[in-house]
Order: sequence, then C-alpha cells, then structure tokens
Amino acid sequence: MRSLMVVLMAVSSFPACVSELKGVILDLCGVLYDSGEGDGVAIPGSVEAVNKLKASNLKLRFCTNETQATREKFVGKLQRLGFNINVSEVFPPAPAAIAILTHRGLRPHLLVHDGLLPEFDGVETTDPNCVIIGDAAENFSYQNLNQAFKVLIELEKPLLFSLGQGRYYKETDGLKLDVGVYMKALEYACDIKAEVIGKPSQMFFQSVLSDMGLQPHEVLMIGDDLVSDVGGAQSCGMKGVQVRTGKYRPSDERHPSVTADGTVDDLAQAVDMILSHRGH
Amino acid sequence: MAGRRALKAVLIDLSGTLHIEDTAVPGAQDALNRLRQAPVAVKFVTNTTKESKRSLLERLQRLNFNLQENEIFTSLSAARSLLEEKQQRPLLLVEDSALEDFTGINTSEPNAVVIGLAPEHFNYQTLNKAFRMILDGASFIAIHKSRYYKRRDGLALGPGPFVAGLEYATDCKATVVGKPEKTFFTQALSDLGCSPSHAVMIGDDARDDVGGAQNAGMLGILVRTGKYRDGDEDKITPPPHLTCNSFPDAVEHILQNLRGRH
Repeated sequence: MRSLMVVLMAVSSFPACVSELKGVILDLCGVLYDSGEGDGVAIPGSVEAVNKLKASNLKLRFCTNETQATREKFVGKLQRLGFNINVSEVFPPAPAAIAILTHRGLRPHLLVHDGLLPEFDGVETTDPNCVIIGDAAENFSYQNLNQAFKVLIELEKPLLFSLGQGRYYKETDGLKLDVGVYMKALEYACDIKAEVIGKPSQMFFQSVLSDMGLQPHEVLMIGDDLVSDVGGAQSCGMKGVQVRTGKYRPSDERHPSVTADGTVDDLAQAVDMILSHRGH
Repeated sequence: MAGRRALKAVLIDLSGTLHIEDTAVPGAQDALNRLRQAPVAVKFVTNTTKESKRSLLERLQRLNFNLQENEIFTSLSAARSLLEEKQQRPLLLVEDSALEDFTGINTSEPNAVVIGLAPEHFNYQTLNKAFRMILDGASFIAIHKSRYYKRRDGLALGPGPFVAGLEYATDCKATVVGKPEKTFFTQALSDLGCSPSHAVMIGDDARDDVGGAQNAGMLGILVRTGKYRDGDEDKITPPPHLTCNSFPDAVEHILQNLRGRH
C-alpha cells in the first residue's frame, strides 16, 4: 500500500496533463523490450499496453535511436516478440540521416553496425566528406574508430554526424556503451561538435510530430532515458514520462537538470494510468 | 623576460620531438650533446605510456642519444605513485610492454581503472568492462589525455578520446596524471631541486607540452615536428615562448638566449 502511495504522489503531475492528450510517442528499447541475445525479451505487460493504446483514440508512434538493424529487421523482431507494430509507425535515425545526406550533397564514411548497412545501400560513400557513427557495438574497435578519425582530421572542416548521443543502454547481460561515448571520443580527438541525428534532437522529434499532425503540447513521450527521451521531448514542448525499466537508475529521480513529468514502474502502468484518467 | 633568473633545467619530450618511431629527428643527437655542455640539468618527460622506461631508454640509445634511465620521467611513473599513495588495485589498460613499470602492484579484485595508450584494449568489450567498474565506484585514472599521436602510417588516436568517452558515459572526471597536468611538471623537476621559473620545456604538442609547461610556470618551446600541424601555436593562450622548426633549433635558441641569463 505504501509503495502505491509513493507512485501516485510521484506521478501527480502526469495524469493531470493527459486530458488534452491526442498522441503518445514510445521509445522502444528499455520500454517495450530489453535487448540481448537473439530477439531480447518483451518487458512484462508491454505487449498488452501497446494493444490498449492502439485500441484507444490516441495516435501512436515509436521513436527510437536504434541503429543496429534496418527498420524492417527490427520491426520484424518486435513482431516476433508479440508487438502489434508496423514499419511506418517507427522513426529511427538512419532514414533521417539519409535525407540530410541527400539534401546537403554529402558522402559519408560509415562507422555503424553491420546490420544497419543495408539502410545505406545506394548512398555514395567514395571519397567521403563526412563521418556517420551509429551504435556500432563490436565494430567500435580501435582500428575502426581510428579510421573514422583519420577521415575527419583530413577534412578542412571535419563534419561528424552521430545517430543519437546515448551514454549506455541495458542488455540482458548488463549495461553497454552507446554511440554517444564514441561521438564524444571523436569530438575530443578532432576538437569539434557532432551534429546529432535522433533523440534528443528537436528536429528529430519535430519530424515525428509532423507525421502525427499534432502540436507538441498534445503529445506525451514515454521512455527509459531521462535525458534523451524525457528531456528531449520536454524541450520540444511535449510532456515526458520515465519508466523504471531498461536503463533507468534510481539517481535519475534526483537529476540536476531534467525532471520527468511523471515516473512509473513500467509501460503497462503508464498506459493504465493514461487510459483510466481519460475514462476509457 | 626581465627579472627571470638563470635557466637551470630543460625538460624534453621524446616521441615527435627527438624521434618519430625508430627514426631520430635530424641533428637531434648532436643538439642534445651541445645542450649537455651547458650548465643545465636535462630531463626527458613523456606521455609515451605504451613503453616502460627501460624500453624507452633502449630505443633512444639505439638511435645514439646520450641519456640515463634516471633522467626519464613518464606518466606511468606518475600513475604508479598515485596508486601506491591511495593503495588501490588497478585494472591496467596499458600495453603489455608498459606493465613492467607496475611490477609489484596488486591487481587482484581491482578497484581502480588505469587507462594509457593501449589500442589492443580499446575494444568494445574491454571498454564496457571499464565502464561498468567506474559506474560501480572504481576510481578512474588516466595516464594522459592526449588526442592523437603520429605514427609512420599517419595520425592515430591517443588515449584522450577514450578517456573523454568514458567520462561522458559515467559522468565521472578522470584523474589525469601525465602532461599537461601541472603536478606532472613539478614532479619531474622536484628531484632536480629546480622551480618551474628556472625551467624550459621543448615539445611537439602545443597543449600538452607547451601549454601545460607554461601553465606550470615554465617557458615552452614548440617544435614543428612529430604531431605538429599548421596553426597549433595559435591554439594556446599565452602562445608558446617560441615556435621553431625542430629540436636542434630549440637548443640553439636556449644556448644563445636563455643560458645563464640574469
């Protein structure tokens, strides 16, 4: 009983903002599932939570910094885990990056996961004039990072794109370093600032909002990353709720600069609170 | 430099200043001998953490440089002192060749992470291990934080980028023990009984050699060899005392202008 009281008090600002809500954006990894060997595992209650949202009158999109596989591949993985989800509802950084490359006439050197490479089929990569890094995991060897560094340092104006800027994420066997760590390494090596494509970039959230046809104040973001998901959404004018799954750490609730509009145990609890508050 | 007292010590960087890998900078051996004829102490200070003092000495002697092991002060020496002082057991991310400088240090059940230049350890798996240890409270020691260094096949990443990445991942600042830390320069000078105002540093790294030395109260001379790139002298404030083509020119400047000056 006491723990329920604490939860209700902690989230008091969150259900109240839900009445004018028209849409929800969900992070994937750490909210719907924990990644790991094979497909990873669905977080208990999250399959049903997604179904409940889809049955409501709320618009639903998925916004992820997932860059280890093509959209088709990881949507397939989510479907195998039991989620009702389609490719057109999912917004990862790679397609946004390709749009930028085309628009600015850039040829990238790619330091990404092997699984992501097919997204870049047809993109010109000879004589590169920028570097794109994603969550390359095992491909983050010294040699590969050094190669990216050498491309950058030879450019008159080194241009680095980072697909997200996360610090770490949780896999079934523990916390793993994310792309942001290697972005910082290359920034430090070349004395430059990377352009981030993905959460928490405002441009990235805006592209999802415009696909939904909604204003920021009408949308709630639910994620496990306090700074990237919650803070990023809030700086765009959305509400942001953090789940205590995935990479959540208790110290997040005392973060010096980002305070979530609500903190809940998991996605299932967040969705039940939203829907019961709206009288579904 | 009015009021500056006589020069008593010259600190000299190794890689990029006296030699590049197994090739000496032209004229550097003779220049060192000329410098030794002047009444100044000489010490070789380096962030070359992949090599033990002994292997540094052997390489330099092979290249016909005239020096002794006790004239070499490295960032590994500085890291070892810190571990001993705090009685910590390190996970050593340094190249195997550097391990002998840590002989006798207990490394079981590590509660500290020490990062040097160790390309073969900078893989995803090992960095994850270091990351988890730091997140769980292990202390985080960086032998130095230099951005890159020069190899025969071009520039290559130093330990600095990996330290910066782990700092970002863990929200912890590493304790840096090598150049450009002020304590590194004062430690190097301490057994010479020389204060920084009586010393000059010669190196190819504008920030780590010259900026660091000047920040510690020494004069700094930047040489255009090794990792030097055009415009490096403009990257530090105040600018180098002098920027010159190579080590022999730096020695010439010292002998002409700084020696015995009152």
